[in-house]
Amino acid sequence: MLNYIWGGLIVLSLVFALTSDINDFARDTYRNDAPLPVTVTFEDQYSPTARRQPLRLEISDSDLIAHYGDSSMTGSTWEGMLLQTSAGREIRFAEGVSLPEPLATICNETGQGDCRGALQGTPTGPEWRSAVTFAPVRWVKMNAIAAAALSFAETAVTLALGLIGGLGLWMGLLKIAEASGMLHALVRVTQPLIRPLFPQVPKDHPALGMIVLNLSANMLGMGNAATPLGIKAMQELQTLNETEDTATDPMVMLLTMNTASVQIMPPVTLVAIMGLQINQLFFSILITTGLSLVVGITAVKLLGRLKRYREATP
Amino acid sequence: MNILQVFLDYASALVLPAILVGFPLYGMIRKVRVYEVFVEGAKEGFNVAVMIIPYVIAILFAIGMFRASGAMDFLTDLLRPVVGLIGIPAEVIPMGIVRPLTGSGSVGIILDMINQFGEDSIFVKMAATMFGSTETTFYVIAVYFGAVNIRKTRHAVPAGLIADTFAMLAAVYVVLLLFG
Repeated sequence: MLNYIWGGLIVLSLVFALTSDINDFARDTYRNDAPLPVTVTFEDQYSPTARRQPLRLEISDSDLIAHYGDSSMTGSTWEGMLLQTSAGREIRFAEGVSLPEPLATICNETGQGDCRGALQGTPTGPEWRSAVTFAPVRWVKMNAIAAAALSFAETAVTLALGLIGGLGLWMGLLKIAEASGMLHALVRVTQPLIRPLFPQVPKDHPALGMIVLNLSANMLGMGNAATPLGIKAMQELQTLNETEDTATDPMVMLLTMNTASVQIMPPVTLVAIMGLQINQLFFSILITTGLSLVVGITAVKLLGRLKRYREATP
Repeated sequence: MNILQVFLDYASALVLPAILVGFPLYGMIRKVRVYEVFVEGAKEGFNVAVMIIPYVIAILFAIGMFRASGAMDFLTDLLRPVVGLIGIPAEVIPMGIVRPLTGSGSVGIILDMINQFGEDSIFVKMAATMFGSTETTFYVIAVYFGAVNIRKTRHAVPAGLIADTFAMLAAVYVVLLLFG
């Protein structure tokens, strides 16, 4: 199923991006190569020889609406700089100005760090009626998905490498727990509770201890500890696996209990966002997560009986 | 604050130090050569992290592309009439779609919703309950199965998604019941 979802996400991204770009193309959302009427006011007297001069650029409501055909747009005045070269005159907007859509997108797409457009004509006085033409904008979403693919691939490596410290710490501690017989004691005490969910795991197997530790860490909202413990539990379950690449029933159960999440304490991130509000949400989260855990466990048990999944059992 | 919460607050603050000290201490009592054994185990951390990289890249890049393509807006519009029938407000649909896909994305959605509706809004309560009661399903699959090189996931994905879908619906109804 993951093959289909994964492939589906990629193909759908292309379909949505193409649709959106073709739509932009058909409606000419960005009015490529069409001049937008503006009024330029110079802070000092206009000088035909100065290479750069501060200016203010005003675009009226009616010009914006007529140009982009969006009646909700409102004009304004922006700070900028006039750049004069032998190639012509350009306006460069001041850094950090907030422009209305679709101007903001045009600037993001065309400007390498700055936002500029070509001005028509020659300044006539301190107040100059001109028109600005921006570089043409095409394939916004196609560029966006390509950029996102690369940046998320990099994020993936950062995330994975970020786990090294926590993984090393917990794997070391667990090795001590194993060698000292602590884990064995934990397994003996907790297996009556936990084995009904993992009947395929042999009695007294260390995997049960790792599972208990992983689930406890989850319950207490200790996400940083839960991941290494869960990975260790998976490794223990893998020693019981007769195949190399196929998930066993206990693995699917452990995974679902983790994705359905068993936390009693709300996750730290949520506490940080919601502040005091989290106290009100304590019970709604507890009830929802409890119910969804039961649904998840039931789903694993029932789906496991389906012919296609049963036959794939390693 | 209720008793349960206070207890959990103490428990989660004390458990970690207790383990960090308790495991090696108990090992010493049982005459384990703790330093040597710890290093032996910790060695594995690096290998595991490197092993999961291809799995996490595969999942995250597909999700990143999907988000960047504007698919969320499209799906929200598509689902609006359907979920409206069972009493789910359209405002919380983005959270329902994004939560299983990315953790950072869902944080962004909550922050947007707080800006738009205010912290006291019932929509924010629903979204926060969704966030708190589920996990980033696809990331968890990539990390946990990736660490042991499991590629054939069998019923893990459908089971996870069933639980997620249920949690999204339950979050709305539970919040309505408690605060509505």
